[in-house]
Amino acid sequence: MNERLGKIVLHVEGLSKVYGEGPTRLEALKPTTFDAVAGEVVAILGPSGSGKSTLLTIIGLINPPTTGSLMINGDDVIKNGQEVVNLTTVRRQQLGYVFQRSNLIPFLNGEENVRLALEIDGVPARESRDRARALLDSLGMGGRMKAMPSKLSGGEQQRVAIARAMIHQPSIVLADEPTAALDSSRGRQVMELFRDSAHANGAAVLVVTHDHRTLDLVDRVLEMEDGVLAEKGHTANTRQ
Amino acid sequence: MMDLAIRDVRQDLGRFILTAAGLGMLMSVVLAMTGIYNGMVVDATVLPDVYGGDLWVVQKDTQGPFAESSRVPSLLVDRIRAVPGVERTRAYATLNVQNQMPDGETLRFTLAGLSWPDDLGNSLPLEQGRALRQPHYEMVVDHALGLPLGATLEMGRDTYTVVGITSGMVSSGGDPLVFVSVSDTLRIQNDLANEALRLEREARVSRVRRSPYGRDPANLARAGAQGTLPATAPPPVTAVLVDLAPGQNVETVKASLSQWSDISVYTIEEERDLLVRGVIDRARRQIGLFRILLVVISAIVMGLIVYTMTVDKMLSLSLLKLLGAKRRVILRLILEESLLLGLFAYLVALLIGEVAFDLFPRRVLVEDMDRVALLGVIAGISVASGLVGLRKALSANPNEVLAS
Repeated sequence: MNERLGKIVLHVEGLSKVYGEGPTRLEALKPTTFDAVAGEVVAILGPSGSGKSTLLTIIGLINPPTTGSLMINGDDVIKNGQEVVNLTTVRRQQLGYVFQRSNLIPFLNGEENVRLALEIDGVPARESRDRARALLDSLGMGGRMKAMPSKLSGGEQQRVAIARAMIHQPSIVLADEPTAALDSSRGRQVMELFRDSAHANGAAVLVVTHDHRTLDLVDRVLEMEDGVLAEKGHTANTRQ
Repeated sequence: MMDLAIRDVRQDLGRFILTAAGLGMLMSVVLAMTGIYNGMVVDATVLPDVYGGDLWVVQKDTQGPFAESSRVPSLLVDRIRAVPGVERTRAYATLNVQNQMPDGETLRFTLAGLSWPDDLGNSLPLEQGRALRQPHYEMVVDHALGLPLGATLEMGRDTYTVVGITSGMVSSGGDPLVFVSVSDTLRIQNDLANEALRLEREARVSRVRRSPYGRDPANLARAGAQGTLPATAPPPVTAVLVDLAPGQNVETVKASLSQWSDISVYTIEEERDLLVRGVIDRARRQIGLFRILLVVISAIVMGLIVYTMTVDKMLSLSLLKLLGAKRRVILRLILEESLLLGLFAYLVALLIGEVAFDLFPRRVLVEDMDRVALLGVIAGISVASGLVGLRKALSANPNEVLAS
């Protein structure tokens, strides 16, 4: 069992995002506070334009917030809207990303796409290869890891993307509509992978989704509307 | 860290090879221009190099025989031979010939005279056959003319037979050289049609009749006794080549000859200089400027190609940035691809040079230093193009990944 399980890995406090000024001012994300713990899968629901992706990009350190603070593993990353550490390093070491389209690098095969997340952080090639192969094998991709992304099905691409997001054992995995391009069966498989990987690696997984068919596989549901995030409660899967 | 550039190239190898081949063809033109430039300089100095001679004596106040026309009396050969310090003198004559062959093909060449019997053409770089053995009707031709040994050519009223074939013997204008004796050169140069000869003969008779000698035969007898009759001079030659005796100072003999009022004297180095800086100067500078223009165009084309290659993978670059790749990872990817492209283009340019330059009608002389210089130029262009691509690459926004 992963020793991180149950610990708070993400603490968000008062995060907000405002675009424009004056009459064009738009408050995409109202001051938001929440935590995520290691090993849980949190679904963020909400209609288009409600601010889900804005929240995800701020937590993903892609978009700076207007106000608020963000802590990962108890360390300040953003304080009062200002970055206090090198965000590139935090992204490389603490975060994993999965998107609606798998966004694998097209000139790298499955194994290389996964290795990349390790090697850009300085992990030697041999170690990265061994770890990538082991992880892909565990995700049922052992026979397809040398295939180029264009030769993989949508579900296979998402499994590679999940492996890439998990390989460096990040504290937080951010997933934006990861099942939108998949059919119901493959969507469930992907969500099961998230759940299992989150538990095995001790990562908190935040999934932005419209897909209500897979909510039974998440631990907690948050709902976003007009920039306001509200807790919808824990599901039956919540681990104690 | 895995080599991303190699993997990117490998993924679309056909496109990369085609792009590099296109660039390589452009670079081969740069290399060809360099070779033509060098070849032009070498071609220009072939004649003085082959003929040698310490001093070249030409018509007064001219820079002949290559820069402009020169005519000096053939008797000058004997006059100069008598000068102290001179060991040997040779007449030199040249003219451009365009000959219509029986099959309709046009042969254009430069006829150069060898001073029989002092110079039989033994110093010529013979590929086949031999030098001249007879004072008339034999010729040594350059292989660029395309005539085989034993072939014959009508020039003037006579037929000349190919007895030897040289290589790389062309005039400063790029025409192949044909060597015959000086006397044959002059015979060909001064050949007149029968009707022209008849008219000239009648004109001479008429001139003599109008002269004091024609009006009164006693004048003719008196002039003959006093030695004042006008001489019928042999046709003039183009220049006289002077070889000095061993140990003689070139400048001293030149100064001595320069006092003569009917000639100008140049050392062989001055002749070469006149050729390179005078005769082919404009063509040389034109090719030099064209070469610079080609390099600039190549740089722009390559910059655009690298920029386009970068734009094509902006999503991958955004993803790399999102995953936290350091700048040097992206820098290496773009620069390495640009350098690989340049290297392939360079190899293609060399290959084209090896295969095609020998087929050019004029000499294309590419030396090792030129190849090294081209490699340096391509490396410079590759780095500059890489920087253009890099600027675009660093503008990649991780947000693009979410927007895609």
